[in-house]
Amino acid sequence: MGSFAFPYFHNYPPYFTLQPVKETRDKQVALWCSLVLQYCQHTKTFVLDVQGDSPLFVNKVINRKLNQEARVAILDELATQGRAEWMDKGKTRCLVYWRRVDEWAGAVTEFVRTFGLSDSVMTVDELSSGDDVRGTDLYGVHPEILTRALKLLEAQGKVRTFKGATPEELGVKFI
Amino acid sequence: MRRGPGIAGLQHAVRTKEQYKVAGEEVKKNSLQAMHEQLSAFRSNLEEFARKYRADVRRDPVFRAQFHTMCANIGVDPLASNKSLWASALGFGDYYYELGVQVVEACLASRSLNGGMMELPALLRAVSRRRGGAAEPVSEDDVVRAIKKLRVLGGGFDLVTIGGRAYVRSVPGELNLDKNRALEAAQARGYTSVADLAAAAGWSAGRADDTLQALTREGLAWVDDGAPDGVRLYWFPCLSGAGGSAAEEQAAAAAGAAESGPAPG
Repeated sequence: MGSFAFPYFHNYPPYFTLQPVKETRDKQVALWCSLVLQYCQHTKTFVLDVQGDSPLFVNKVINRKLNQEARVAILDELATQGRAEWMDKGKTRCLVYWRRVDEWAGAVTEFVRTFGLSDSVMTVDELSSGDDVRGTDLYGVHPEILTRALKLLEAQGKVRTFKGATPEELGVKFI
Repeated sequence: MRRGPGIAGLQHAVRTKEQYKVAGEEVKKNSLQAMHEQLSAFRSNLEEFARKYRADVRRDPVFRAQFHTMCANIGVDPLASNKSLWASALGFGDYYYELGVQVVEACLASRSLNGGMMELPALLRAVSRRRGGAAEPVSEDDVVRAIKKLRVLGGGFDLVTIGGRAYVRSVPGELNLDKNRALEAAQARGYTSVADLAAAAGWSAGRADDTLQALTREGLAWVDDGAPDGVRLYWFPCLSGAGGSAAEEQAAAAAGAAESGPAPG
C-alpha cells in the first residue's frame, strides 16, 4: 500500500481550527469530509477512533491537530450524508462508509454470484475474514458494516439471516 | 460688413452669405475628405500590420502587451467592440471575452476558500491551468485587460494593490485602509495576530481585533487556534506567503472534491 498523499490544506494550519464563519466552515468541513473518506478508503479503515492520534487528524510537521469538536463536526456531517455512523452515544467511535452500505451489499451479491454460493450458508465472520473471501473486496470489512449490508439485502429478499451466539456468528443464507 | 440700403443691398447680403457658405462647405468637404483619406490609409496600414503580425500578437504575450501600448498611444482601443476591425483582423474581442470567462470561473471556484481575493500570479496560474497546456500562453497583462473588461459588468471585479503586490478582488465591497494594513502586515508570513498587527500598525489591540474580526467575517481570514503558545492566528489564504499558493492549491483540491465528492444518500 503506497503512502497516502494528503491534500494541500492538510498542511495549512487554519484548517485544523473549526472556522467561526459559517460559509467558511461549510467549505472547510466539506473538504475534511472528502479527505476522511479518501484516507479511510486508502488505509482500509472502517472504524475511526475520534480521540486517536491518526495522521488523518494530526499533522506533526506543522504542529497542528484537529480538536474533538471539529472531529465530531466533520463526522456528524458525514453521518447526515449517510457516509458514517456513530457507534456510541458519546461519539468516540465512528463507522466510516467509504463505500456506501448498498455498495457493500452489491459486493456481497457479486461475491455470491462469482463463487456460485446461492443456497449456501455462511457466517458474517466467514464473509469478512474467511478463506473464501481472501483477495476479494470483502476481505477485512468490519462485521458491523457487513451486518448492515446483509440487513439491507434481507429487506430486499436476497438473503435470510440467522442470529448466532455472538454478533460475529450471525448466519446468512443466500437466496 | 456694411449693410447696403434697399432691395439691392439685401439681395447682395444674401448672395454674399451664400457664397461664404458654399466656400465654407467646400473647405469642410476637402478637409473631411483628407481626413477620410488619412484615416483609411491609417486603417489599412494598421490592418496590414495586424494581419502581418497576427500570429505574433496572438502567440506572444510580450509582443501583445507592446501592441496594446502602441494602440493606447495612438488612441485606439482594439477591444472596444467585437465588431471592430481589430476583432475581425485579430479575433481579439473573443480572445478577451473568453479569457474574462476563465477569470470569472477561476475566481468563483476559489471564492469560498479565499474570500474572493487572489494574488494576480496565482490567478494567472489558475487561468492557465483552466486553458490547458495546449492553449496559447497568457500574460498578467492579458489577465489585467480581461479584468478591466469585466468591470463593465459591475460584478465587483477589481484590482487592488497591497504592499506592492497586485490582487484581484471578485466580490463587491471595499477594502478599507485598516483591512489593507492588516493584509500588508500578514503578507510576509501569510498570517498575523492581534498583537502583531497592533505592533506593526501602531494601533490599539481593539482596533487590530476589530479589523481581523471583520476580515474573518468576509472570509478573507481564517482563524487558527492551534499555535503552540495558544495565541489565535489569522491566516489569509489569498497571500502566497503561506508557503506557496495556498488558495490556488485549495481551489484545485476543491474542484477535485466536487468531481469525486460523495453522492447524497
